[in-house]
Amino acid sequence: MAEALDTVVAVETPEGILIELRPAGLVVRSYAFAVDWGIRLAVLYAVAMLTAFIGGVGLAVWLILLFACEWLYPIVFELKGSGATPGKRVFKLKVTMDNGLPVTPAASITRNLLRVADFLPFGFGFAIASMLMRKDYKRLGDIAAGTMVVHQQKPAGKPVLADVPPITPATALAPRTQAALIALAARAPFLTVERLDELAAIAAPVSGDARRSGRRVTHRVLGVAQWAMGRRE
Amino acid sequence: MTPLQFEQLYDKEWDELELSLDRHAAAPSARAIAGARFTELYRHTCGHLAIARGRSYPPHLIDRLEHLTAECHQLIYQQRELGAGALLRIITRDFPAAVRAHSAYVATATALFLVPTLVLGFLVYTQPELILSVVDAETAAEFDAMYSGGAQSIGRLRDVDTDWAMFGHYIRNNIGVAFQCFAGGLFAGLGSIFFLAFNGAYGGAIAGYLTERGLGHIFYSFIVTHAAFELTAIVLAGAAGLRIGHSLLAPGRQTRVQSLIAASRQAIVLLYGVTAMLVVAAVIEAFWSSATWMPVSVKYGVAGLCWSAVFAYFAFQGRHAR
Repeated sequence: MAEALDTVVAVETPEGILIELRPAGLVVRSYAFAVDWGIRLAVLYAVAMLTAFIGGVGLAVWLILLFACEWLYPIVFELKGSGATPGKRVFKLKVTMDNGLPVTPAASITRNLLRVADFLPFGFGFAIASMLMRKDYKRLGDIAAGTMVVHQQKPAGKPVLADVPPITPATALAPRTQAALIALAARAPFLTVERLDELAAIAAPVSGDARRSGRRVTHRVLGVAQWAMGRRE
Repeated sequence: MTPLQFEQLYDKEWDELELSLDRHAAAPSARAIAGARFTELYRHTCGHLAIARGRSYPPHLIDRLEHLTAECHQLIYQQRELGAGALLRIITRDFPAAVRAHSAYVATATALFLVPTLVLGFLVYTQPELILSVVDAETAAEFDAMYSGGAQSIGRLRDVDTDWAMFGHYIRNNIGVAFQCFAGGLFAGLGSIFFLAFNGAYGGAIAGYLTERGLGHIFYSFIVTHAAFELTAIVLAGAAGLRIGHSLLAPGRQTRVQSLIAASRQAIVLLYGVTAMLVVAAVIEAFWSSATWMPVSVKYGVAGLCWSAVFAYFAFQGRHAR
């Protein structure tokens, strides 16, 4: 089920390991676009006020700036280190190649020049249609350039669990089951005792206590969570 | 081996790798990290990740190793072909070579641009009232005034200020048109065909109209120099668009998406050159074409040089470069 819902894209490196990328969807990308749009509008407005006093040269500067804001702004920011415009950085997104590597200049220029095609027929219609129809949320420019907009993730860090003696699980545990047990144990201090018992009863098969519940079973399930954290009996 | 022992055993290597990554993030340069040691640690860590996954080690451990390897992978395999060297290579070799490689598309785009220009030019020249089916009466009158030698004329001495304002306008407008010609190719080439034919027809109609009115000498001496760069650039942008459109229609043995990506990667080189040519065109159009104190013979002479230079550049530049 989780596989069917997840939009994770896995790419294999030459070292033979898989790297997981999480493509960013329409909504968060629209927010990022709105922020970028606001920034550009503010800059153009401010410069327009300054250049109004210096006539033709001022107008030239402003028109060139308008050109730069329309076409060069995303390219410059995507190629400058982080691979993200300020708007994308606010929402922790970045542009990568299909294989997870930083975006190349050619790809960045391609995807940003093709923005015109994405804008058609009006209001980014084709971009929205394309993003809604694809699992990796690419707009037309992304498809042609072989790029993707992904969530930048930071490692979650090591969860801190209450100290319970570890218990070896009754059956082999899949990584996802282990993660669920650890998440339960991490939430334990914030749950009422009764609710914790209820939840632990669902997980009870891992400690060989299927169809049983109660304080002792909870204790044993939390023990298995300790095992999943890497401690051994 | 328990996961805790595993972690204790290799923790130092991972820390060292993380430290190198941090140092590189703080000061991005190749010297921030010791390459040989870095790649060695990276390969070790890839092995650790495979072991950790294979033995279902704790999720936080796998998570940490996944992020570590992903970041190293980005750093080691990134392709950044930016810089003065790359720019020089594009001008001296890649751009003219790309134009030659796309000669069939360039020829098609030229025809798509030129045929409507000539047809509309001829039609409007013989039946001037047809101009009103291309532009409205007001615009036609504006063009009249612009090239008539009167007060609003482009042929009058204009001040430096207006030159600059027009320069900004040409940059923004013309480069935008070129990018449209390219992007339109994404719709099976139809957009490129439309923009090429439209711009051709429009220019042709204006030229035919002004020639018929007897204002041709002012009009042609104004446009002839920058046209060498501007019109060729628009045609090349259209050719790039036709290329990507064709890659979608006839992908050959690739999937349509693969074919599109491959075609875009080659066609985009044309756009680098197109942008540069349009900047040159804007400089000429704003500061040279409008200079009326220049004798017409000099203007046509310089125009001839520009056209020859552009064609010679496409024909010969970078042919033998390795």
